[in-house]
Amino acid sequence: MTGTPHPHDERCLEFFKKLSEYIDEELDEESCRKIEKHVEDCAPCQACLETLKATTGLCRRLKEKPVPAELSDRLKKMARELAI
Amino acid sequence: MSTNPRKSSTRNNQNDTELVRAIQSGQVDLFPELVLRYERKLYNFGLRMCRDVNDAEDLVQDTFLNVFKYINGFRHEAKFKNWLYKIATSVCLKKRRQKKYEPERTLSLEDFLPRDEAEMVRQTPDWATIPLDQLLNEELADQLNTAIHALPPKYRLVSVLRDIEGFSTSETARILDISSTNVKVRLHRARFFLREELKNYFEHDRNTPSAR
Ligand SMILES: [Zn+2]
Repeated sequence: MTGTPHPHDERCLEFFKKLSEYIDEELDEESCRKIEKHVEDCAPCQACLETLKATTGLCRRLKEKPVPAELSDRLKKMARELAI
Repeated sequence: MSTNPRKSSTRNNQNDTELVRAIQSGQVDLFPELVLRYERKLYNFGLRMCRDVNDAEDLVQDTFLNVFKYINGFRHEAKFKNWLYKIATSVCLKKRRQKKYEPERTLSLEDFLPRDEAEMVRQTPDWATIPLDQLLNEELADQLNTAIHALPPKYRLVSVLRDIEGFSTSETARILDISSTNVKVRLHRARFFLREELKNYFEHDRNTPSAR
């Protein structure tokens, strides 16, 4: 496994800290390019990025539960009483 | 459900502004409409923030009571929805203080770093390469919801507001009265926490065979 970066490689660490900002497109272009270049050569960081991206994407896809009818009725009643 | 949330949010905000202004100008009979518009969002927010269904229901009710009480003080400087979540968040934090929960745990990024070469993941695992809509079945959604509940509250708040409710970093900062940097730090750690839970699930606990 020659060329495999050490887990505490400084470039990997720097990457590790900025990963969420990268996913959220909150970094400037230069930082983005640096990260993309690093990921090309560093399989562990690539894996880290993909799993974090998937985690974030799954959160965004969670579905909402419907409001129980009993609660909805209670809220309606409360709102009407307030509005009098 | 399939509409682009970013596109529809501008229109929703316009509708909210009109409705809220009407209520502020004395048409309080429109308040039930405002409740109807946001009861589902708030109930789901409550479910994620409180473990208990009854607490979630109380959160919705108390939030709307406060909205009614303070609506004339809302100056339209932010979107109504953001103001609403600010109230919901403070209701939620107040409830927590009343219940005297154990002190909050702090998540450190170092905890999520591989400790040695052997712990390093060298290749993207299969689950992270499957299209997400295909991957997210009911069992996985349950796992993820459980993981979100396991987040210490201050991280959970940020995670829910950013990644589930879809607020931006600066909106979340304003809702929580913390800095944008702080939002980013908490979100980053929360995501690593959730990723760890998902990794464990896919490596050890999953009942179903590989989705491929
Ligand atoms: Zn690396």
